[in-house]
Amino acid sequence: MRKLLCAMFAVALPLGAAQAQDAYVLGVSGAMTGPVASNYAPVVEAMKAYLEHVNGRGGINGRPVRVVVLDDQAQPSRAAANVKQLLSQDSALMIINVSLSSTYAPMVAESRRARVPLYFAGAVCPTETYPPADPLQFCSTAFGARLDSQAALAFIKKNAKEDVKLGLAAMAIPISRGEIDYAEGLSKTLGMTPVEKQISPPPAPDYTPFATRLVEAKPNWMWSWAPWVAQVRTFEAMRRLGWQGDYLTWAHLNAEEELERIKDGRFYVIGTNAMLQDNLPIHAEIRAVAAKANLQYPVSYLTEGFVAGLVLEQVLKNTPWPPTPQKVLAAMNSVKVDLKGLRGGPLEWTKDNHFRTRQYYRVWRWDPQGNRIVRAQDWQAIEVKR
Amino acid sequence: MQLAVNILVLAAIYALISCGYVLIYRVSRVLSLAHGELMMLGAYGLYLTASLFDGHPLVAVAAALVLAVLVGVAVYLALMWRMTGESVLAAVLATIALGILLRGAMILAFGTQTQHPLRDLGWSNASLELAGARISTVGLTLIVATLAMYGALFAFLRLSRWGIRMRAAGQHPLLAAQRGIGLHGIYAASWGLATLTGGLAGMLLAADAGLEGTLVTIGLKAFPAALVGGLDSLVGALLGSLAIAAAEVFVIHYVDPLLSEVVPFVVLLAMLIVRPWGLFGTREELDRV
Amino acid sequence: MSGYFRVRYAQDTALLDSRTQKGWFAIFVVALACYPFLANALWLDLANQVLLGVVGAVALMLLTGYAGQISLGHAGLLAAGAFTTGILFKEFAAPVWLTLPASALVGAALGLAFGLPSLRLRGLYLAVSTLALHFIVIHAAAEYETRRGFSTGIVIDSPIYEAWHWYFALLAAAAATVLFSLNLLRSRTGRAWRAIHGREAVAEALGISVPHAKVSAFVISSAITAMAGCLFAYFRGFVSVEAFSLYLTIQYVAMIIIGGMGSILGAILGTVFVVLLPYAIEGAMARLGLAEVLSSVVFAVNYAAFGLAMVLFLVFEPQGLVGIWRRVRNWFVLWPFKQRAVR
Repeated sequence: MRKLLCAMFAVALPLGAAQAQDAYVLGVSGAMTGPVASNYAPVVEAMKAYLEHVNGRGGINGRPVRVVVLDDQAQPSRAAANVKQLLSQDSALMIINVSLSSTYAPMVAESRRARVPLYFAGAVCPTETYPPADPLQFCSTAFGARLDSQAALAFIKKNAKEDVKLGLAAMAIPISRGEIDYAEGLSKTLGMTPVEKQISPPPAPDYTPFATRLVEAKPNWMWSWAPWVAQVRTFEAMRRLGWQGDYLTWAHLNAEEELERIKDGRFYVIGTNAMLQDNLPIHAEIRAVAAKANLQYPVSYLTEGFVAGLVLEQVLKNTPWPPTPQKVLAAMNSVKVDLKGLRGGPLEWTKDNHFRTRQYYRVWRWDPQGNRIVRAQDWQAIEVKR
Repeated sequence: MQLAVNILVLAAIYALISCGYVLIYRVSRVLSLAHGELMMLGAYGLYLTASLFDGHPLVAVAAALVLAVLVGVAVYLALMWRMTGESVLAAVLATIALGILLRGAMILAFGTQTQHPLRDLGWSNASLELAGARISTVGLTLIVATLAMYGALFAFLRLSRWGIRMRAAGQHPLLAAQRGIGLHGIYAASWGLATLTGGLAGMLLAADAGLEGTLVTIGLKAFPAALVGGLDSLVGALLGSLAIAAAEVFVIHYVDPLLSEVVPFVVLLAMLIVRPWGLFGTREELDRV
Repeated sequence: MSGYFRVRYAQDTALLDSRTQKGWFAIFVVALACYPFLANALWLDLANQVLLGVVGAVALMLLTGYAGQISLGHAGLLAAGAFTTGILFKEFAAPVWLTLPASALVGAALGLAFGLPSLRLRGLYLAVSTLALHFIVIHAAAEYETRRGFSTGIVIDSPIYEAWHWYFALLAAAAATVLFSLNLLRSRTGRAWRAIHGREAVAEALGISVPHAKVSAFVISSAITAMAGCLFAYFRGFVSVEAFSLYLTIQYVAMIIIGGMGSILGAILGTVFVVLLPYAIEGAMARLGLAEVLSSVVFAVNYAAFGLAMVLFLVFEPQGLVGIWRRVRNWFVLWPFKQRAVR
């Protein structure tokens, strides 16, 4: 017993990691384990698998890409420690964050100190990436605060057959509450009546009490922007209470799977990533890469990670050898990435806008007659301005 | 009326989970804070047997229940028997550590994705109408299962020989051992029973909502219900769950949904200040010195 | 006649007795002072984390290890200190010499609240009441964060940036805490705590006011914990309620249990163990060549390993790392004689 403990301490002495000096080195700090890992781990895995695939094709500018992944378990102190390790031990050119928003500030502080670009690829984009953008922060994640509510309410307004009585549902985490509060205010300016807003705590054993309040207010449309579990369980509870209205919610990684499971014709999801059913050539590529890397996630979860991989490929292509963080930053400040149909249009970053110049939204729902997912609205662009 | 139904369903959830806490505490005076993880293990057991016995849902459910009992006994034999007689903090810490270990092991074995055992079993969660209020099938099953389980436990503890031995071991372990009751066997049986009820609760919750990591936190939320009723009283667990569920639903409906998280703990605190051993618990040596 | 004699009271209460002890201590101090110049960035950061953890662990050790009051609300107290700092900084732009004492005051006040149940409850019920208070504090903090619009947390400008500046600041804080604790434990209050931990009825019979001792334990421990929370806030530059979960409490309790209850050295050793364990595991995986194979699940291995380490210590080594240390020390002291295991 004691010998085991001694042995453990002995092997903990650090040995210098073999520095591959002839590769582009990227550092990732992500929530690979812990309660929220199911949202972020697929993104990291897909991104890594795609870049391995690129390496197999000869690399970028003839050099391989090395991705170093460290788990931060969505804890800020580990995230900060990870960034220090990635910068000092691995000499990363760029730090990629695929973790909960509580890890943002420490990683921003570290990246600022080292003057290395910080790329948010998995969680909600911080407002500093919107124009006017912070020089070091970039983001490619699908959802965008405020923009999502704007697009959602625009869709509701266009498709409502009568005056809209809007119900809102959020989870008791600051991001979700902030967005729903914004939506409440916005709905009033659009001539809708917000009739009820319910905020459920993160692990609620039963969503029926919250749904009861919502159903009693008799909304005809619902908008929910929260982690998937709150969105879908509120919906299911409301349906069980006999509510027949239309429910619009954000399309997370598992939206496609869930639409098929729920099979409700008036459950809409709005999102920016194309669905597998479109069967584009890029989807075949995703399937092949996932199979080769033996990824354990359903293919429909991998889009976000693939988008990140494509962005990184393009950025590194525009970074001349030998690479430095400054050259990578320059490349990121003016890049246009062809996402091959995964999103409504190319992803474009400028010096002022590190989010994207245009955000495209689609809306899907389940078609009970045809027994498949159908598009309720094709790509609608929203300009991202100051 | 809808409110009453909501309260009953929530109370059933809390009651089914707290009877696990009560069983273990009553028999071996150990507070098991690993109950949330054991719940999740039971639900994963159902997920496993559902894919194993594809097409025979009832067999899968029965197999999952048997698996839960075996896991509970295994947990006792692997770890908890060493902690008998240790200090309170050490035993509680051991259960917390066990919970962490189980959670890590479950992620390693099953991954972090949400599973849907109900769909794997081939059943659906329809909505039923009941005297003007609506309730889901799973909700109704929860209430029926809780009542059935409590009834069975009452009968078992009062009438059967093993049940009487369990009560004896809980009241006075030394005397029970002198009488010839094998304490380790009794404790193992209590852990098995507690994991059975916890696993059943986990399975029903997973059937309702899907199987994912937050199931564990719900186990902790049911803990005040056990304490308010009295940690060694099953009747207390039932009534405590009702009280807390009622408080929570009323607060959500009439006050502010955000407070629903702290309501159980506020009630718990009030109870601890007024009557620490709960509504029906046995008065412990809490001599005020 | 040989040996050493104590002829003055000062010698009796001194922390270091003999010349050998003083010598080793001097070497230790020099080693600590030179450490930042020899360590690389990762190890320096780890040292900072350990030092920060020591402050909180020593506070918990005072409360649970010496005074015997079980508290599961540690994360709530850390959060209270951190949020006091965050609120004062954000709303009033308060500097550090204001936020630190303010955090201590808030901690003391909360300590009073956490400690009052201890007058009626013991053991399990006390632990549960502190748990309930923890959830209430966290809820209040989350409400503040949302209502004031800091949905991703409060960013704080720290007066110290460089890692090695932090090292010396945290070293000073940890040393101050340890010194304060050691002296407190030798004083009347410390002796009262040990008495109530042993047998309350006897303590009362000896004339020690048990309620006073219990409440003072909670208040002092909570004040130090809240100050640790304030240091947390500056160290991370960031305050957010998600960082103060039940898992953080469990880590601190693990630190004092693994370290060995009833010993300040135990608190320090336990902190070192708990902070370094994940990195040791990752190092071991890399050495064994399993890193690539388990690359996506080595992270769950950390989690499971932490639980396993705790269980192993609780079962096989209830006296913790201090127990191991004492055995090793006794082996050297008694050599070449062997020591028979005395239970």
